[in-house]
Amino acid sequence: MSKKISESVVCTFCASGCDDLEITHNRRTVDSARNGCAISLSRFASIRESRILKPLIRTRGNLRATTFAKAIDRAARVLNNSKYPLLYGWSQTSCEAISKGIELAELVGGLIDNTTTSCHGPTILGLQDVGEATCTLGEVRHSADLIIYWGCNPIHSHPHHTTRFTVFSKGRFRKTRKDRKLVVVDVRRTDTAKLADKFIQVQPNGDYELLTALRTAIRGEEIEQDSIAGVPVDTIEETADMMVDCEFGALFFGLGLTMTAGKHRNTEAALALVRDLNYVTKFVVIPMRGWFNVTGANEVTTWQTGYPYAVDLTQGYPRFNPGDTSAIDAIARGEVDAALVVASDPVSHFPGAAVKHLVEIPIVTVEPKWTPTSEASEVVIPSAILGIEASGTIYRIDGVPLEARKVVDPPAGVRPDVEILDAIINRVKKLGARR
Amino acid sequence: MAEFLIRNGYVFDPLNGIEGEKLDISVRDGWIVEKVSRTARVLDASGKVVMPGGVDIHSHIAGSKANCARMMRPEDHSKDPEPKTRYARSGVGHTIPSVFTTGYRYARMGYTTVFEPATPPLKTRHTHEELNDIPIIDKGCFPLFGNNWFVMEYVRQGRIEELAAYVAWMLEATKGYAIKIVNPGGIEAWRWGGNVRGLDDRVPNFDVTPREIVRALCQVNSLLNLPHAVHIHPNCLAEPGNYQTTIDTMESVRDIPIRGHPIMHVTHVQFTGRKGWSWPDVRSGAPEIADYVNTHDHVTIDPGQLIFTNVTWMTADGPAMFALFKLTKTKWFNADVESETGAGVVAATYKKSNYVNAIQWGIALELALLVKNPWKIFLTTDHPNGGPFTAYPRVISWLVSKDARKKLLDKINKTAKRRLDLPGIDREYTLYEIATITRAATAKSLGLGFKGHLGVGADADIAIYDIDPPEVDPAKEYKAVRKAFARAAFTIKDGRIVVKNGEVVRAVRGRTFWTRPQVPEETMKTVIKQLESKFDDYYTVRFANYPIEEQYLSASRVIATSEGA
Amino acid sequence: MANLIITPLRDFKIPVTAECLSPDFVAGKSLRDIELTEVWEGNRRVKLGSLFRVYGETGSAPGDCTIRISGNVDAVRRIGFEMTEGSIQVEGNAGMYLGERMRGGSIVVAGNAESWLGTQMRNGQIEVKGNVGDSVGGSVRGGTKGMRGGTITIHGDCGTEVGAWMRNGTIRIKGNCDLYAGLHMKNGTILVEGNSAGRVGAHMTKGKVIVLGRMEGVLPSFQFEEIRSNAKAGDEKIPGPFYVFSGDVNEDGEGKLFARVSDNPDLKWNERFLER
Repeated sequence: MSKKISESVVCTFCASGCDDLEITHNRRTVDSARNGCAISLSRFASIRESRILKPLIRTRGNLRATTFAKAIDRAARVLNNSKYPLLYGWSQTSCEAISKGIELAELVGGLIDNTTTSCHGPTILGLQDVGEATCTLGEVRHSADLIIYWGCNPIHSHPHHTTRFTVFSKGRFRKTRKDRKLVVVDVRRTDTAKLADKFIQVQPNGDYELLTALRTAIRGEEIEQDSIAGVPVDTIEETADMMVDCEFGALFFGLGLTMTAGKHRNTEAALALVRDLNYVTKFVVIPMRGWFNVTGANEVTTWQTGYPYAVDLTQGYPRFNPGDTSAIDAIARGEVDAALVVASDPVSHFPGAAVKHLVEIPIVTVEPKWTPTSEASEVVIPSAILGIEASGTIYRIDGVPLEARKVVDPPAGVRPDVEILDAIINRVKKLGARR
Repeated sequence: MAEFLIRNGYVFDPLNGIEGEKLDISVRDGWIVEKVSRTARVLDASGKVVMPGGVDIHSHIAGSKANCARMMRPEDHSKDPEPKTRYARSGVGHTIPSVFTTGYRYARMGYTTVFEPATPPLKTRHTHEELNDIPIIDKGCFPLFGNNWFVMEYVRQGRIEELAAYVAWMLEATKGYAIKIVNPGGIEAWRWGGNVRGLDDRVPNFDVTPREIVRALCQVNSLLNLPHAVHIHPNCLAEPGNYQTTIDTMESVRDIPIRGHPIMHVTHVQFTGRKGWSWPDVRSGAPEIADYVNTHDHVTIDPGQLIFTNVTWMTADGPAMFALFKLTKTKWFNADVESETGAGVVAATYKKSNYVNAIQWGIALELALLVKNPWKIFLTTDHPNGGPFTAYPRVISWLVSKDARKKLLDKINKTAKRRLDLPGIDREYTLYEIATITRAATAKSLGLGFKGHLGVGADADIAIYDIDPPEVDPAKEYKAVRKAFARAAFTIKDGRIVVKNGEVVRAVRGRTFWTRPQVPEETMKTVIKQLESKFDDYYTVRFANYPIEEQYLSASRVIATSEGA
Repeated sequence: MANLIITPLRDFKIPVTAECLSPDFVAGKSLRDIELTEVWEGNRRVKLGSLFRVYGETGSAPGDCTIRISGNVDAVRRIGFEMTEGSIQVEGNAGMYLGERMRGGSIVVAGNAESWLGTQMRNGQIEVKGNVGDSVGGSVRGGTKGMRGGTITIHGDCGTEVGAWMRNGTIRIKGNCDLYAGLHMKNGTILVEGNSAGRVGAHMTKGKVIVLGRMEGVLPSFQFEEIRSNAKAGDEKIPGPFYVFSGDVNEDGEGKLFARVSDNPDLKWNERFLER
């Protein structure tokens, strides 16, 4: 089979959206990949591992191979018979597939939620109270002379972040490392912290107090305590000065803020700090999203329903209230009676109280590889890997849309998510959707 | 062959000079035809007004900033949910409706074509994804050029031909329709937290002025013979007094040769139509602006009518949004786009009792009433900045009836009322003029020769309203007029009935219009080489991944530039 | 007072949304009408009568109606939605959104209640004998308007963000409260008789939060004012003494936090500011 080199391929792992990959391949297999980070390269190298190759239905306790049509039929019946179904996942598939997911959720009257609910949901809740002063990543590369990483470790989570966008990148107005200052705030000295000009060690669960103190300091108000969250007030005031004195500051934050005590109030404080800084200088904030299309899941869900995640379509119109309409909470309360999981592994990632209930209800999984969720499912439909075996639109962390293109064919009989969901929708309609 | 005959209605078709005559309209296969066979379905429009479907030239309905607004404002949505029906998907409304609801609500008012007026090129794929999802209406979008690095460099170097090739390349790459300029140079200054102060201020690091950017892009517009004028939101929007900048901006391009249509369209002039030095003291600059528009043929405007309600401000004008946010202290979204432009979103409310809000409301109406020629002024609310597009019927009622205006004038801030000319203006729009400013003139301005009229060959986009002209005097029965425009008796899109009695009965897919201007091949080759060499330095996406393929649009229609002449 | 008794026929797992469980809805209706009223059970429309036994009688006006819900209705939402008069007694646990946008009348819950109790309440009284979830007396997502009148009394503990965006009214927690009591408070009074987990009054601009037990840390955006001998909650004078803090400075706020001196030895260091 003849080899081909595809250039400017968009990586579909983390949400950095690196689009300079060079893949050598033939029609079915990838030979080699260049320009990606180690995680990206290993992703391309392992596309054939742990693949689900046939549709499966659980019969007499075991998952057995079946036809596509039968699997679709069973999936449609599971959803149609359900009084409170959940359609979950979405962050590792295309916008086109997510759009189908929303259509299906409306058709069967269910909840539709994506992985935002367990990672950057708090960021969105924060911006619903404050707003967000942000920009695309290129602006940071061109202009930022102060970079702050707070509660995240990009050296490991987004390996090309510092070289493409921040301290090691080349921008129009900031050309080298010397042109930028790096501040890292974390509970321990991470590998990213080792690169910092200033490392601030904050007590676990103390980020809210520290962010609040920074807001107070930049206003020139006095902080009455001697230290906040383990950080001396002098350090806080120095950091505030750095922020106020910079020409263009950029704050990146991750799960260290979103998943510690306070959650969306932590992010609200970070967003409010950046907003306040704009009164005196130029400052932006960009959350460090994890999955490559979680931003896309938020975008599509928002433009179609008005809300970014945790959307309840059970009563025929969109409702949104995380804590009520969010996947983990609805499952943990035992309310959800069936689930469709697309491109996600909640059995591995959800808290125990939710997993306990999740494995008791019928699950339909659409997924390329074997995961604990697929092992616990009633129906499993194998899907093509987006950005390698299937094309579709994705959104980078900063809202820039990219076309992730197909490079090789999926294994025989394996279809893209869009097609699978379309088939379920058609089958549900034929069975007579209740609405 | 789907045929039908709209019989006996009072037809208002300004592009063909038809002013309320009783005429039959024949439709076959989605177009207006000369006549139909005897088996055609008959739609009885007796006692009703028949107009072309509405054409909205400026409404922020799709794209990154609209979605940032939606994401930021769940409290806006929860007030106004739209349940799913047999024909319609569910959604939410109020100031920033979700996409399905947007299409349905426009169709319910008899609108069939809407343009998103400001899209950042790097994110225009997003705009098209949303436009694809908006049901029923035909649409398009205007990419932003006024703060673009390539543009500013070509302008500084005076390389207009290459600039024209770049713009042509961009319009095709983004599947855009027209050149949009927002706060030229100001959004680049906002990179550093600043702004420009007027047309002759220099843009930091680029050594060009807004005037130079505007003139160059207008020259390009002429060179490329684009179907629409350069669509511009001037500098100084957040200054209390800014009307002079608006006039200077129009004046700055007066000498540029035009090719059969105005060179510049200034949008939502109410926001840049204030006189005065400070907020407590602002007055209306509408008389001066209207005077300019009345005596010059190279410009058109739209007012961006203010409605006293809860609104969302959204614009590419990042610095203006922050300046205004500081006055409201609500919530603020900002999204700068590398090397190109920006965006700002703020939650806001307009109150009758507020002096400045009342003045702005008055400015918009004064503009509409003082500009004499209805072909030069189009009905907009700059949705959602001035108010939601669902308020158009209310605006119509103010235009057709002095009584309707008086009723509201009696409730607004008294000082504002005293300082406006509006109370003394008697003019009342006729239905013919309303048809002009909501469909005929806008279609003409957009260069869409097959829209906005009911002549043979036009798309069968038709709105039928429950107004019986011999029986109804709009000036007195403005409430009935408002109700009629809010809920069309019938809306027909491409020859299919989509709305009946104000309810959606069928969802169809609309088309996305874009332009593909032609330039000399050699110039285009040169420009593409330049782009390729600079792209990785300017952007964080690759050149190969920037253009949007035509298949991306769910229903694409290219508008050739010669149609615009 | 006419008593309408509603008994759940089983344990509900799938959420039920029953705004009709309100004196304003049942007033003047026959039992049959009430049984035939459609409610949501998950994504199905079902008759109220298929979920509950309905008996007793209804008054002709809401003010004459008492609804007694005898059983656990943890999964039943929006009980008492927008009610204006009359009373509701829940003889078990109550579900989410209890008394949302209430304008008058009273609700008493013998057991616990879920989150979002009394959201955007305008007037009336809600009393819960057990514990309650998060966001008591608060606002909707993205909204800035919380409770603006009436009284909420919780005998047990409450979750996070009690009284968020509150504009007026009184909330009394006899047990403990979790983080962010009085978040974004605009006015009104919150009294916590137990302990508070901290971050009290974050982003507040006015109003007061009184904590009789332990107040876990005071935010850096609050400034110590003085020691006061007592604190006022409505008409009630509560003996102190109290450390009084003012803030949230980051919002140019003038809200007040009261922490009882005897229960807050960790706040004693503030006394150094008394010389000023």
